[in-house]
Amino acid sequence: MSSLLGGVTLAGLVAGLVLGFGIAPREATQGNVQRIMYLHVPSVWVAYLAFAVVLVASIVYLVRRAESADRLAHASAEVGVLFTGLTIATGSIWGKPTWGTWWTWDARLTTVSILFVMYLGYLLLRGMIEDRERGARFAAVLGIVAAFNIPLVHFSVYWWRTLHQPPSLMKPGPGTMPGVIVTALLVNFAAFTLLYAYFVTRRARVLRLEAEAEA
Amino acid sequence: MADHWSFVLAAYGLALIVLAAYWRFLVRRERELSEGHQVLREGSGVSEQARRPSP
Repeated sequence: MSSLLGGVTLAGLVAGLVLGFGIAPREATQGNVQRIMYLHVPSVWVAYLAFAVVLVASIVYLVRRAESADRLAHASAEVGVLFTGLTIATGSIWGKPTWGTWWTWDARLTTVSILFVMYLGYLLLRGMIEDRERGARFAAVLGIVAAFNIPLVHFSVYWWRTLHQPPSLMKPGPGTMPGVIVTALLVNFAAFTLLYAYFVTRRARVLRLEAEAEA
Repeated sequence: MADHWSFVLAAYGLALIVLAAYWRFLVRRERELSEGHQVLREGSGVSEQARRPSP
């Protein structure tokens, strides 16, 4: 199952690269550096998805005390932190040639940094508490509270005046991007979603094996 | 505007390194734990046999 998912994910990532570099045209204003978008935007999508899963799994854990829900929340948070880190790093690399700076305390960049630090804290909290049940309970509460930052990140570009551009895809109303660029982006979205599912499946299995080894 | 291919390469290269390292960590950790489980199971199998009275 895992190797099948891994194979499909790899095929999706290759298709995403072919579309992003081979099929999608060079962007008129930014030039080829805009191709970082096919990595940066799907990364933040996976981060949103991962933290939304943490929210749902944390609620399920608090209601049912199901260890599988706790493992899912833990695995998803870890993968979410990984992709948030990638979002920040690739955004910074994209920002230097287009904005002229690696970093600025713009609303979007600041809120996404807070999101990153909050979920990093979530993972540290899990590592700090020895009692597994207590750690899972505290982490579930933090997983729910931290999720309130997701809409703040997404809508920050509307609520404050920022250097970061507003969303081109995840927004209401008709799109403004050419079809071929949207297709390349959507294929990368799908591939990154599969990569998320693959990583979370494997990480949750490792967590189960760790719990069994400790018992 | 200039193409800045070095920035594109840096972004994709970094992503490749980070994602490959995480995948490697997961695979290695899973293998270690699975092998540990197998050793434990085999160990308990040996002790079961040892406990069985000889005919």
